Amino acid sequence: MSNDRSWRARSRGWLAAIALLAALAGALLVGSPAGLQLPNPDHSAVSQLRSAIAGIPANGTVLVAFDPDIGTYPEIRFAVRAVIDDLISRRARLAIVSYTPEGRALALAEIARLVDGGTPAGRVLDLGFRTGAEAALVTSVASIVPDSASGALADALRSRGGGLRAFDLALIVAGVDLGPRSWVEQVGTRVPGLPLVAVAPTSLRPELEPYRASGQLDGLLGTLRDDAAYAASVEPGGAHRPPASLAILVGMLAALAVLLQVGSRNIQARVRRAFDRRERW
Amino acid sequence: MPRRLAWPFIAAVVGLLLLADYLVANSSLDAIAAAISETIVLLAAAAAITGAISLVVRHAGDLVRGTGNRAGSVALLIGLGVMLVAGFRPGSSGAGDPSVRWVVGALLVPLAASVFALLFFFTLAATRRGLLLRGRETGVMLAAAAVALLLLLPLGGSLGESLAGAAGWVLAVPVGAVFRGLLLGVAILTAVAAARLLFGMDALDE
Repeated sequence: MSNDRSWRARSRGWLAAIALLAALAGALLVGSPAGLQLPNPDHSAVSQLRSAIAGIPANGTVLVAFDPDIGTYPEIRFAVRAVIDDLISRRARLAIVSYTPEGRALALAEIARLVDGGTPAGRVLDLGFRTGAEAALVTSVASIVPDSASGALADALRSRGGGLRAFDLALIVAGVDLGPRSWVEQVGTRVPGLPLVAVAPTSLRPELEPYRASGQLDGLLGTLRDDAAYAASVEPGGAHRPPASLAILVGMLAALAVLLQVGSRNIQARVRRAFDRRERW
Repeated sequence: MPRRLAWPFIAAVVGLLLLADYLVANSSLDAIAAAISETIVLLAAAAAITGAISLVVRHAGDLVRGTGNRAGSVALLIGLGVMLVAGFRPGSSGAGDPSVRWVVGALLVPLAASVFALLFFFTLAATRRGLLLRGRETGVMLAAAAVALLLLLPLGGSLGESLAGAAGWVLAVPVGAVFRGLLLGVAILTAVAAARLLFGMDALDE
């Protein structure tokens, strides 16, 4: 009897999961219908980042510190790609480096995307992975171009000292392991002339907002709304769009439904217990 | 010097040298600080390689003894082998080789993303179980989660604008305050722990 009940409960759970999966898949196919969007009343983050990027000289060099983590990268991926493509369209030259192993894995995938997308080879330089976390950041101030790096961009960076001072801007693609806070602490103080901008998942925003407000970060995209507004501002209706609003809505409503269902069951149980107690009295 | 003071002494000297280099522009100090930083980087690299070797030894040992999760050990060793072959085979250009990029871009990243995508379902199941256990703390945490979900609903129009404004305020003010309070607390505790270590204090001294 109890086996039968547990089997039924388990199959109900599976059915619910499959139904949710199907609903999410359908919502992804539908996309973002009118009326469902990510409004962003505060455009200051977007304009700050755009003006920092506009300050790069023609053929300027940008260091992309690519250290997101696999868990939160899907949240910021479209914004990161929008910023990188914006930089390339402004004829900036990108050097990509990673200080975390996960960041390196994701950087390789992004470099492959850029190469496959036809970005000229001289515009992107792979600086590889540097072990040692914050100690590696400190050593990068003096030297970041590996001996094995070759090409016009590597030579240009070497001619400007080969360290972080050789760059016109540093774009930090952040994860939870090594983020913009470490950059401000370790690099911002040693190379004050290097503008730092960051794209970070929402979970890092409370930690990073004071750095943006104080100007230690020259630009920060730290919420899905900011990310969507930036992508729309550089390439309206372009390739890099935020996740489908309908899928986000379906997921959120499913989560709210679970919370309400179990919460109401708990409240019912409490009320029933209170009545029982009163009857016993 | 007592043995228990030797490591704190080394840590203090290294810390003071790095601090002095940070504050004073001096080429000799620069050179010493650079050498220390390089040593730390090398230590980190050595730790990573040692960790990888230890992982291989552990899982190979599990397979030989027939203990542990054999399927997991086989998958780990094959994955490690594939990556090493792609990067070290004759003619490969190392980490930037197209085959390494393919293994990472076409296998590793999608697999990891799929595992993380499952988090949504697991979190929902864990939420349900947590609430069924009727923990008061779970209830408070999930009520806050429900409010956050409502504020982040992707709705257009004036309702969506109001929700977005409220979400921004919640993130900047209450969440920001709690977060910064935690960071300050962690920083103070770290400073206290570092001072105790430098002075060679432990629980027996109290």
